Amino acid sequence: MEPPEESKLGLEEAEEIVLRWDSTTSEEARDNMIFGGDRLEVDRYLNAVDRIQRSMSSVSISDDQAKVNSAIQIAMARLEDEFRNILLIHTTPIEADSLSDPSSSTHSAATSSGGAASADFEDDPDEDKDEEEILRRGDSSNSVSYRSTSSIREIDLIPSDAVIDLGSIAERMISAGYLRECIQVYGSVRKSAVDSSFRKLGIEKLSIGDIQRLEWDQLETKIRRWIRAAKVCIRIVFASEKKLCEQIFEGLGTAIDDACFMETVKGPAIQLFNFAEAISISRRSPEKLFKILDLHDALMDLIPDIDAVFESKSSESIRIQAAEILSRLAEAARGILSEFENAVLREPSRVPVPGGTIHPLTRYVMNYISLISDYKQTLNELIVSKPSAGSRYSGDPTTPDMEFAELEGKTPLALHLIWIIVILQFNLDGKSKHYKDASLVHLFMMNNVHYIVQKVKGSPELREMIGDDYLKKMTGKFRLAATNYQRATWVRVLYCLRDEGLHVSGSFSSGVSKSALRERFKTFNAMFEEVHRTQAMWLVPDSQLREELRISVSEKLIPAYRSFLGRFRNHIESGRHPENYIKYSVEDLENAVLDFFEGLPVSQHLRRRSQ
Amino acid sequence: MRATENQGSFLNRISIRRNQVVSMEGNHEQELDDLEIFQKHVADRFSNLLSSSSSSPEESAATAATSSDSLLSIAWLRKLLDTFLCCEAEFKALLIIGREPSQVSKPPLDRLVPELLDRVVKALDVCNAVTHGVDAVRHCQKLAEIAVSALGQRPIGDGQVRRAKKALNSLIAAMAIEDRDGSAGSKGTERAWSFGRRGSSAAGASGSNKDQATAQFRSMWWGMAKGWSAAKQVQAMSANLVAPRGNESSGLAHPVYIMSTVVVFVMWALVAAIPCQERTGLATHFQVPRQLGWAQPIIGLQDKIAEEWKKKEKKGTAGLLEEMQRLERLGQSLVEFADSFRFPAEAEKLEEVAAQVAELAETCRRMEEGLVPLQQQIREVFHKVVRTRTEVLEVLDQVGKVSSTPTM
Repeated sequence: MEPPEESKLGLEEAEEIVLRWDSTTSEEARDNMIFGGDRLEVDRYLNAVDRIQRSMSSVSISDDQAKVNSAIQIAMARLEDEFRNILLIHTTPIEADSLSDPSSSTHSAATSSGGAASADFEDDPDEDKDEEEILRRGDSSNSVSYRSTSSIREIDLIPSDAVIDLGSIAERMISAGYLRECIQVYGSVRKSAVDSSFRKLGIEKLSIGDIQRLEWDQLETKIRRWIRAAKVCIRIVFASEKKLCEQIFEGLGTAIDDACFMETVKGPAIQLFNFAEAISISRRSPEKLFKILDLHDALMDLIPDIDAVFESKSSESIRIQAAEILSRLAEAARGILSEFENAVLREPSRVPVPGGTIHPLTRYVMNYISLISDYKQTLNELIVSKPSAGSRYSGDPTTPDMEFAELEGKTPLALHLIWIIVILQFNLDGKSKHYKDASLVHLFMMNNVHYIVQKVKGSPELREMIGDDYLKKMTGKFRLAATNYQRATWVRVLYCLRDEGLHVSGSFSSGVSKSALRERFKTFNAMFEEVHRTQAMWLVPDSQLREELRISVSEKLIPAYRSFLGRFRNHIESGRHPENYIKYSVEDLENAVLDFFEGLPVSQHLRRRSQ
Repeated sequence: MRATENQGSFLNRISIRRNQVVSMEGNHEQELDDLEIFQKHVADRFSNLLSSSSSSPEESAATAATSSDSLLSIAWLRKLLDTFLCCEAEFKALLIIGREPSQVSKPPLDRLVPELLDRVVKALDVCNAVTHGVDAVRHCQKLAEIAVSALGQRPIGDGQVRRAKKALNSLIAAMAIEDRDGSAGSKGTERAWSFGRRGSSAAGASGSNKDQATAQFRSMWWGMAKGWSAAKQVQAMSANLVAPRGNESSGLAHPVYIMSTVVVFVMWALVAAIPCQERTGLATHFQVPRQLGWAQPIIGLQDKIAEEWKKKEKKGTAGLLEEMQRLERLGQSLVEFADSFRFPAEAEKLEEVAAQVAELAETCRRMEEGLVPLQQQIREVFHKVVRTRTEVLEVLDQVGKVSSTPTM
């Protein structure tokens, strides 16, 4: 940059110009700025500085040298102030609508309408998901460069004429050996600009202790906010700062723009990552899994941008820290899954669920693994080892057996999901034993395994991972439970309606023991009433299953009763008080069966048969 | 196969010793040896640190002695951190490897281990604060380097002296951050960055320059959450730090106590040395019973450092870091020279100044060499500690209690 007419400027004249602007001696100099005033004065001053600089080498007499040095120092002090001032004037906090997520084109409309100064980031999880999908679909080997060029958005933080002025000043300061001062001034002003951008983005300074103390649902909100803010920080704020350094210090050496950049952003970058780090080391518990996966995915998405923005050697520590946090988040996810499995296995509640219905554990676990299947893309990458299940031959009664060799070709994640279902059933099995009534044991298992099957069928991802083979197994299991239930309840009831033991002699029409017959009827009535009263209170939540079960019961009960009635009613009706023995018509029983498994109490009295 | 085999694959990583069937007795003896060895190692290592810190920071700062290992120098701090890492590794092996997980949850460990973990989490915040503090120290280093560069030129003229003076004033202001008189005041904090006219001045108005530098220092370097205090954090860490007594003192309770003491001591020393957020009121003592043999070196170090800290509180210096103390002493001296400078200066004076500048340059060089590695080491400590904590938590969660019952 050649100022015009520079060779005509004498050394003394130059010194005089510099001295005129010495703010320690001139009040006028103190109250005014060179840059921002008359452009001619600017040029004149810079010329003067250059002139003096050039004379540094040629001046030999020590007195003159001292004068020159003194003048240089005065000029540099002045230029430092000018530099600072230009930076300060143009340090306005980043506009709210510049602060929208660069990877989403529709986003800027949403945030700028949301309110001017404080960027209030609304939660929009669906949109997040879409963005993530779009970004993930690219082939991972190509997508690095694709992502970083499309998602980084540098904005001009300072107007270009100011940038040029700053560059001119920097050039002089550096060639006079005042590089350190230059870096310090630059860093201190820009750093506070970054700090105020951070505040606008809602990035908080929280200690690890603070984060440990917060409730998880508060943290979830903060994580969501952090994810949005981090994208903006790295892709816009830091990238723009980097560009600004490059612009100002263009041609003055790359180490310098790098040093200024690091001076500006190192502290804020560490502050940004500290939050994610604190989350990654928080205590593990199952409900944290999905937000941690969100955080992991967001960070993984940002890594190429982080690597691009912090590519220099001096910013290595930041890249390393980001990678460390990512790996810790992955570990946390794995650990949580492991802990979840443990929790399911050991869940200790012994209070039986009334009515044999679906246990809350079953609902929780099935919802959880449904969500897991939503995150399967990430989890498939993170979960690489099989669950360590008991082997068939372990004989350990506290853990179920599972032979994974049978499940060929399944991803480790799928194996884990199957394992979770296995241990869920194992746990439920243990719980079922707390029911006093053996029928209820089976009903409970039937209900719960059926629920599991329905949930798996209801989710395509889950179904694909669990596989139809295992699904078939479980279906067989709940059908068996249904059969076992029927056996447990109805065998003894139907036993009352058997032929044997009623005939005194071998013939049909006569020789029926009336007393035995009366006993039979009485016993049947009592048993049925009890079963009816009890099992009306039981619950089979699934309507189809409930119907099927009732029909199955009816199919055995009704024909048996009908035939029994048909054969033996005359014998009762020919005696005294037949109504004490034949209490119910076939229709009555059919109606009574409709009460079963509704989960509601019935009155003690069934409708008597109409005479 | 025992039940532990099936609980999670992470246990498989830990040790093959689990599979060995050892007699109770043999195990017990082995255990005692391990505990004693740990204790001895801790004592030895800190003894090393004590003897290598040949002089107090003040002594060596007052001389031009370049014994780079002096107490609370960068090199010494790095040794301290190395020591910590060694102790930590041994402790982890002691606690986790080759032990039945249930041992870790029996009384009194069921209380002591979570307390240690809590201390350790607090230590992580201290690590972060100290890392910021090291950045602050680098800032001071850079200011000193300006002075070195200025006063290294020949001949020394008004220009160079003014330049040096400006940098040195900033340096001194930055270091006076904790001056309780408040002249490096709290009122300056927000003023610094008002937009508009020139806020700073050149070498002349040193008052406002000082304020600005202090405010700048504070807002830029502290970096921790508002209200966070290093002094309070260390204080909290030393809560409940009580030597196990009676029948508690056998078994693992003692190593846990030892490790706790080591953690607290190391963090305390770091905070004493490196300027970080809010150190006023840093306690100069935490209770370590003097009769404990292994603790003697630590107590010795504590005494030395505490003495220095008390002196500091009287004089209002910033940070016991040996290099910072040098910077301060030399900075003050050179500022005096600069204040009274008339060109040309006497040869004798110039010689004196040259010597001081050389010492300053050497100190800056050591800082340049050592501060970044120091930060990396602090990071390593952070990692190791996190890892150990995770593994201990896994062991604890294994043992019986389900960490959370699934909620609906």
